[in-house]
Amino acid sequence: MTTDDMHSDRDACITLAHGAGGRQTAALIARVFARHFQNPDFTADDAAILPVGSFAAGRAAFTTDGFIVSPWQFPGGNIGKLSICGTVNDLACMGAVPRYLSCAFQIEEGFPLQDLEAIAAAMAKTAKTAGVRIVAGDTKVAGRGQVDKVFITTTGIGECMEGAHPSGSRAEAGDAIIVTGDIGRHGAAILVARRDFAIDAAITSDCAPLAAAVKAMFDAIPDRAAIHTIRDATRGGVGTVLHEIAAESQVGIELNTPAIPVAPEVRGVCGLLGLEPLYLACEGRLVIFAPQAIAPTLVEVLRTLPDSRQAAVIGRVTPDFSGRVVLNTEIGTKPLLPEPSGELLPRIC
Amino acid sequence: MNTAIEKARAIITGYRGPKIRIMEVCGTHTHEIFRLGIRSLLPENVELISGPGCPVCVTPVSYIDEAIFLAEERHATICTFGDLVRVPGTAGSLAEARSRGARIQVVYTPLDAVTYAEEHPREEVVFLSVGFETTTPSACLALKRAEAQDIANFSLLTANKTMPAAYEAMASHTDAYLYPGHVCAITGTSLPESLTQQGISGAVAGFTASELLTALAVILEKSRSGEPFFVNAYPRVVRPAGNPAARALVETYMEPCDAIWRGLGTLKASGLKIRSAFAPRDARVRFSLPSMSGRENPACHCGAILQGLERPVDCPLYGRACTPDHPIGACMVSREGACSAYYLYGGLGRNFA
Repeated sequence: MTTDDMHSDRDACITLAHGAGGRQTAALIARVFARHFQNPDFTADDAAILPVGSFAAGRAAFTTDGFIVSPWQFPGGNIGKLSICGTVNDLACMGAVPRYLSCAFQIEEGFPLQDLEAIAAAMAKTAKTAGVRIVAGDTKVAGRGQVDKVFITTTGIGECMEGAHPSGSRAEAGDAIIVTGDIGRHGAAILVARRDFAIDAAITSDCAPLAAAVKAMFDAIPDRAAIHTIRDATRGGVGTVLHEIAAESQVGIELNTPAIPVAPEVRGVCGLLGLEPLYLACEGRLVIFAPQAIAPTLVEVLRTLPDSRQAAVIGRVTPDFSGRVVLNTEIGTKPLLPEPSGELLPRIC
Repeated sequence: MNTAIEKARAIITGYRGPKIRIMEVCGTHTHEIFRLGIRSLLPENVELISGPGCPVCVTPVSYIDEAIFLAEERHATICTFGDLVRVPGTAGSLAEARSRGARIQVVYTPLDAVTYAEEHPREEVVFLSVGFETTTPSACLALKRAEAQDIANFSLLTANKTMPAAYEAMASHTDAYLYPGHVCAITGTSLPESLTQQGISGAVAGFTASELLTALAVILEKSRSGEPFFVNAYPRVVRPAGNPAARALVETYMEPCDAIWRGLGTLKASGLKIRSAFAPRDARVRFSLPSMSGRENPACHCGAILQGLERPVDCPLYGRACTPDHPIGACMVSREGACSAYYLYGGLGRNFA
């Protein structure tokens, strides 16, 4: 199959030959990946050469993440968009500006070429929004049934911002806790899209790259070190992040339950299935710990950006009940938020 | 805080009357009471007991054994609600059977099990039908659909239960019931009303913070007189006549039978089985299931906990060998179980703060 007829044939599928490393592999890369990911650093060689010496702070953030979400497309995104957001957001959480990504595909034999195109297009668009370049990649094809349609792994390098040192162990008593938007959308969207439960609800995933939001926050404050902790609430949701931070920073966390933004349709699905929105996955929501004094500034900056318009302060860090997360309820009680257990939905990201 | 909540809260926290035991007999109530931290509002002389209200928790060990037997010896496909998969039987759970190769499908509604049977005509599909008055109608709806569409490879393994016998069996363990709102929405209120003649008091409760607090406050106020009482504190949903259509549906396909309750033993006419007219839909008949006795882990105190005789923290396994990740007793498996709720919301100590 040549590049041209591969493109013209709407029914074309990925075959084992596309992963064999020969002519068909080269054609696939040229047609799908090189075309969409086009940028000066995209390499045809064995590895991309990157100008990291120019990183001002002399520090780079480096991370990797695998994506196996089922179904591969869902309202609000697809696995391609997700694979960029996940790694970009992980870099941003460390106070880094994402610069370069690599991506590795494992594709099931028979996967439609036009679907792969849709995935590559979503990756390119999301990378552009996030200001990151996809510079290297790998394509493997596995026999039918050995991979569920398509799995993607992305690896990223980010340039650390001068003076920014967010870390899970730096949350302090007196910090305000901010979320960048309403919670649990991604998990709820996947649940509904999977059709395991006979539920119809118009829920779109919150999947979004948040590098710009993070940079805007750091640029809005005089002392970048004042943002103590940023964490991406993915699998396990905001609740899991809060438990992690409470343990890593050895602090107590008090949530103001009515202040936690939850979309009515997400609350509805949670009510039907007996789920706690705090434990539903997000793919475009950060949890930020910073002193009360700068919290209003951060929320204000976040609300000017498209993917964090519903940013809100949801609680505070206290020196009491170290390691625990307590809810302030509407009836004036303070029950514990239970720790997440093993019943979270699989294949969510 | 709205005024209804404030008023109810003041009555509860200010209660100074004689010691009173209130038993909730609905798993969702148990869970919501913990989730909302309601126990932390109760004065010392008010004791809230988590009774046998979680369908998974009261299901006997022998039932799990029967399901595993059907899957492994009769090669049936088991369709079940997720909670039951992890409940330990005499020798392991359905989850363990699944890892050995048994076909166990988790479904969200009984109708999904019928759909599965329809799509897999070469498999024998058995739905594990557990639950109280609220869930039994949907199991019967599934039966109705299988009958109407002639889906021959679908049957039920029943362990459905009805609450009246349990109310009477547990009466000496409590001073008043927090009656289950959803169950009463089906059964109506004539039974709890008539129980007042036997000296059994209670109030029907809904599920929001305001509804739960109101029902508790009503119980505390009414108990002052010393006379047995009944109050429907969930009139938004519960009508005196209940839901006759749902009851008629159940009556078409099922009839009362004696049933084993974990912890309570056999209670007369407290269960439902499939009527003989529909015998091929009864997995026990269809697969000539041998009778099974089932043996519980002797160290597990689920039985005493379900009767309100002990609290979860009194069990030697609680929080040590038995946790939500590694449950030994059924009360730790279901998120509506008393042990699971205690553990998730209170850890090893009392419900926090």
